[in-house]
This record gives sequence, C-alpha cells and structure tokens, in this order.
Amino acid sequence: MATQRGASVEFREVSKRYSDQVAVDRLSFTVPAGKICVLVGPSGSGKTTSLKMVNRLVEPSEGQILIDGTNVLAEEPTTLRRRIGYVIQQVGLFPHQTIAENVATVPRLLRWSGERIDARVTELLTLVGLDPRRYAKRYPAQLSGGERQRVGVARALAAEPPVMLMDEPFGAVDPIVRDRLQQEFLQIQRSQGTTVLFVTHDIDEAIRLGDRVAVMRGGRLVQFSPPAELLAHPANEFVAQFVGSDRGLKRLALLTVGGTELETDVDPARVEPKAPRLEPSMSLRDALARLLTSESELGLVYEDGRFRGALTLRQIGHMIRSDA
Amino acid sequence: MTAGEPLIRWDWIASHGGVFVERGLQHIELTLIGVTVGFIIAFALSLLVLRYRRLEGPVTSITGTLYTIPSLALFALLVPYTGFTVLTAEIGLVSYTLLILIRNIVSGIRGVSPDVHEAAIGMGYTARQLLWRIELPLALAVIVAGIRIATVTTIGLVTVTALIGQGGFGALILSGMLTFFSTEIIAGAVLSVSLAIVADAMLVLLQQRLTPWVGAG
Amino acid sequence: MRLLLDALRWFIDPSHYQGSDAIQTRILEHVEMSGFAVLVAIALALPIGLILGHTGRLGFVAVSVANVGRALPSLALLALALIVVLPLGLGLGFWPTVLALIPLAVPPILTNAYVAVRNVDRDVVEAARGMGLGESDILRAIELPLALPLVIAGVRTAAVNVVATATLGAIVASGGLGRYIVDGFALQEYDRLFAGALLVAALAIVVEASLAAFEKAAVSPGIRHPGSAL
Repeated sequence: MATQRGASVEFREVSKRYSDQVAVDRLSFTVPAGKICVLVGPSGSGKTTSLKMVNRLVEPSEGQILIDGTNVLAEEPTTLRRRIGYVIQQVGLFPHQTIAENVATVPRLLRWSGERIDARVTELLTLVGLDPRRYAKRYPAQLSGGERQRVGVARALAAEPPVMLMDEPFGAVDPIVRDRLQQEFLQIQRSQGTTVLFVTHDIDEAIRLGDRVAVMRGGRLVQFSPPAELLAHPANEFVAQFVGSDRGLKRLALLTVGGTELETDVDPARVEPKAPRLEPSMSLRDALARLLTSESELGLVYEDGRFRGALTLRQIGHMIRSDA
Repeated sequence: MTAGEPLIRWDWIASHGGVFVERGLQHIELTLIGVTVGFIIAFALSLLVLRYRRLEGPVTSITGTLYTIPSLALFALLVPYTGFTVLTAEIGLVSYTLLILIRNIVSGIRGVSPDVHEAAIGMGYTARQLLWRIELPLALAVIVAGIRIATVTTIGLVTVTALIGQGGFGALILSGMLTFFSTEIIAGAVLSVSLAIVADAMLVLLQQRLTPWVGAG
Repeated sequence: MRLLLDALRWFIDPSHYQGSDAIQTRILEHVEMSGFAVLVAIALALPIGLILGHTGRLGFVAVSVANVGRALPSLALLALALIVVLPLGLGLGFWPTVLALIPLAVPPILTNAYVAVRNVDRDVVEAARGMGLGESDILRAIELPLALPLVIAGVRTAAVNVVATATLGAIVASGGLGRYIVDGFALQEYDRLFAGALLVAALAIVVEASLAAFEKAAVSPGIRHPGSAL
C-alpha cells in the first residue's frame, strides 16, 4: 500500500455569521500534515460549522482556510470536495448502490479506469476489515451500524484524499463497537498519513484520537494543544470543567510506564510476592488498575525479561497531581 | 360556440342565482349522503380488517377494483336496475369513497405508536377501551385526511351523475356542453371547484378543533 | 350473471372484430389517447416536481396542485377542453379528450415527484454533496433513483385515472372504449355497455401491472427489500 502524504490545514481568522448571530468567531489554528485535530465542544460551539467550511458546505463570511497553502475559496467546490474525504455520523451511504459502488463514488467522479477502481475498492474494504468477497455486492441495508461506518470511512478514503473531515463519525454506534472503530481508525490513519479534522462532543474521544485538540465554545477557540497538555494545563475554568475533574486520571491513559521515572533501588526478589509485573509500553492507567486489583503498593517493570525498576502507587499519585 | 358570443355572459349569470342555489343544494346533498354512508361502511369494514387480518386482502382488492371501474360505466350499468335515481348516483359515489377511507382508517390506527399501545395495555385498558379512547383519537388526523380526499373526490364525481339525471353543478356543465353555451359550463365548473375548496377548508378547521395536539395540517 | 353471459357472447361474436368499431381498434384508440395524455403530463410535471423537490422551494405550490387537481371535475375539464379546442378547428373527439385528460394526470405526478425527492434522507444528500457531486449529479444519480418507487406510484395513479376517465371522451365523439359504454347506454344494448366496462377495467389492470413490472426492473434492490438477505 502506497503511503499518502497528508496536507496541512490552516484556519486564518475564519468567521461565519448568520443574519442574527456569530457561529464561528475569528478562528485561527494550523493542523500539521498527517496529524489528527479534534474539534471538541458543547453543542452550538461552532465545531461542525468550522468543519463544513473546509469543504465549503458552509461558506465562510470572513477569513481564509488554506490546504497546503492554497485557499479553498479559490477552487471550484465540487473539485475541492473530491479531494477531501467526508464522513458524517449518519454515514449517508447511498442505499440504492452496493457497497462497492458506494466506495467507488469519488473515483468514478474522477473518471478512474474500471480496473483501477476495482482494485482500490478491494484494497479499501480489506483495509477497513470487511472481506471484499462477502461485502462488495451487498447493499447498505444489509449491514450493521458498525459495518456501515467502516464503509463510510472506506468511501471517504477512496480517492486517496490528503485531508479527511469526520463529523461525529462514531457517535451513533454502541460503546464497544465505538471503541474498536476508534482503534482501527487510528491504525488506518497512521498507515495512510491523511490529515484528519474530527468533530466530537466527547472529550474522552478527543483525548484518545487527537494529536491536537481544539476546544471550542460559542464559536471561539478556547484552547488548542496536544491532549496531554490540555489535561495538564487547561487554559481556563471552562476547559478544566469540560475535561472533567478527573482530568488527572484521564492523563494517566496518555502516559506510559516506560516514560515514568522508576525506582531502581528495589530488589525484585525481596518485595511482596503479589506485586504484579508491568511492561514499559503499558499506560499508567492500566498499570494503576493492575496495582489496585492485586492490592499491591508497587509493580515490577520488566523489559524483554530484564528488570528495569519498580513503579509505586505514590509515583502514580504524583503523576495525577503533576502539572508537568 | 356561436360566433360573436362572449366566453362568459355575466347577465346570464346574474339572472340565474336561483338555479345555482338549487343545484348547489343538490350537489351538497349528494356529496353528504355519499361520504356519510361511505364512511359508515368503511369504518365497519376497517374494524373487521383490523380484527381479522386475513380479510385485508379481499377487502383491499374488492374496493380497489371498484375504484378502477370508470364512473360513467358504473352509473350506466346500474341504470337498468335502479333507474335515473338518486340511489343509482349514491351507489356509485359510495363505492368510490371506500378504498380511500378504509386505507386511511386502517393505516391511521395501525400507525399509533407501539409504545402508546403498550403503555395503555400496561395500565389496564381493555381492547374496546383501547380502540375508542386511545387509538381512534390518535388516528383522527389520518382519518380526517382520508375524509378530506374522499369529500373532494366525491364533489368532482357528483358532476358525472348529471349523465343519469342528477349532478348538482354537473347538470349546468352538461347542459352547457349540449347547447355549446360556455357561460353555463364555466359557471358549473367554477362552482363545483369552489364547493370542493370550501368543504376541504371546513374539514381542516374541524380537524384542528378535534385534534388540538397535532400541528396545523 | 345473465349480463355477464351476454357480455361473453358479445365478446365471441366475430363481427365485433371488424370495421371501425372493432374491439382491437377501440382498444388502440383508447391506449393512444391515454398514453398521449400521460406522456405529455409526465413531460410537464416530472421535471418541475423533481426540481422543486431538490431545491425544497415552492413546496406549497406542489401540494396545492394536488388538492386543487383532485377537485377538478372530469366532466368540467372535458367541457372546458371543448371550449378551447373547437375555435381552433381541431374538431371533436381526440383533441378535446386528450386536453381534458392532461390536467387530470399532472397533479399526482407532480406532487409525488416533489414529495418523493423531499423524502430522500437529507444525510445521504449531504454526504453526496460533501463528496463533490454537483447539484445535477445529486438529482440524477442519488435523489431520482431513491425517489423512483414514489415517482412511479404517482404515474400509476395518473395512468389508471386517465384510462378510466378517457371513457368520458365518447360524450364528445372520441373513439376508444368509451364508445361501447356511451353507445350501449344510448341504444340500451347492455351487453355492449358491460363489455366496454370490462375492457376498460382490464386495460386499467394491464397498465397497473406493466408499471409494477417497470418499477421492479428499475428500482435498485438495495431499497426494494431493506434488511432482507439477497
């Protein structure tokens, strides 16, 4: 599979006004190529409007949106949209077309050859975990919600877009399926290198998926930072409340055992036998769960069978409180 | 048309007010009887269909077939038996209302949300109470919509009964046709359409009074 | 029952298959008048209904057309068509009948096309637009196929109505199956009248069945049986 290069997306002082209200107010931020930026905020915060201005389903009143330095307003809307993937919560698969036809939508608009389209459809269905032999000829009504959402992602990726817009794509599926879809989506995104703008109202989803998180409120950007930074240093009371009073605990999910300073002056042979074994790649949250279930004060960290040090509850507690 | 004759002769219209009233009353009477009798029969058949599902096929196909018989043919076929009478006209008019009315009554009652249905049964309603106190009131909007279509259609069909000596405003249209007198044709057509529009508006108002919980329709 | 036997006897009489009043000729005339009227109505009403549905504008017009259309008495339409056609020198029969049938066929086609396109899931349309389909592509490739069952239902209603009402044309000296009904009535030949009514009903059923077959062939299996395994 050829890795695609994502494109950078820059908002420059972008505003959207409707006759009597401001939906988006002088929004400025830059998403580096190949990164996921999650726009998060309560309903009415302007996040979906901002997203739709990128593919011009909504026209900005002011400002510029640049994809790899080119203003989207300089391009013909349909041409622009054909190189931007778009996934919405309701998926919007075309019910009268088969799964293969749905995925082939944009390649067909771009007049790819039949062979190239077939090959691409097979490749994409495999990529999103749907066996092409079983699914290509089916219709959307014959699929489950999670399967439909996978097709939605495949369809959006079909013409190898440098940028993909996703509006609450996993909002309508149940928590277990959502969890799996998020995981698969992260893998796919890393393998494709697509730049993603992702809208959600779920702060946990934002922290999990985002390389950058843009917190919005009342049409304004309140904070724009990597998720760990957001949890450690909320810009104001609103963000602190929005990320939740358990933000310290949430941060543990983003930190690994290996990235924490371990206590090395511990003799693994002399500690209590119930101390669990931990791996450096484990998140601090999972480590904490291990310690609590084993009723142990500390865990022993091994890397490739070699003892690296011990992680104590006190250290974890320090990380929760730490603003570092 | 005779040469030099205007499309509408207003003096003729002004001098025939009495005829219009008489024809109008006849038109209203034929319509009212047709829709009322049609509704009573349709309601009974609908309850049967709702109670015994296997009757649905036969009832739908019989009323559907009645609906496709040309009105002219139906009236003409009845004449040897019932003559040039109101009865002949009404048999035809009633037949044509059945399909529309039954379809709306049945789908209106079936369209009541299963949650409401279950809640009512859970609170101890009997089947009869459920029908009269919950299902019928909630289905009223759809049922009245069916009555509106049936009424407007019947008002149009009444004009055809002019061919069997009845007809309300249709008698004006027919006599205008036979004498090539456009004023009479236009008068009959305009009055018939106006009657349909007024009747439809009155039924909308009635529905809004009866079902205040539904948005204006 | 006796009437049915009389009608059957009338059907097997070979003389009823000859001359200008032959059964096959009358059926052909009936199909010509009805078909012409329905085709003109489709040409007028379908594009307007689809475009109004796509833009979502003037919805009240599309809906009122249906209400007023239902109120138009067929007899009055025929009489008015006569007023229009006679001064043009087109004569009695075919033209006044067709002209009366067109306004009868327009409302169900127009309203169904409008409602059908409006009913297409807005998320599907938004997804299509977001992927770069142009407005005409959206209407042609997405909205029309999804609206097709309702659009065809409108044409079915119109066609069945037109086939039944075309019999009235015989009052203004048109051909078609109405001749048997009007002439049978006038001459008190009730076997002929009844045979005519049977032929019209049969023609209406054939029209219904052909359009149902067309619908089956034209509508995507993806929306025909939602949820069922193929």
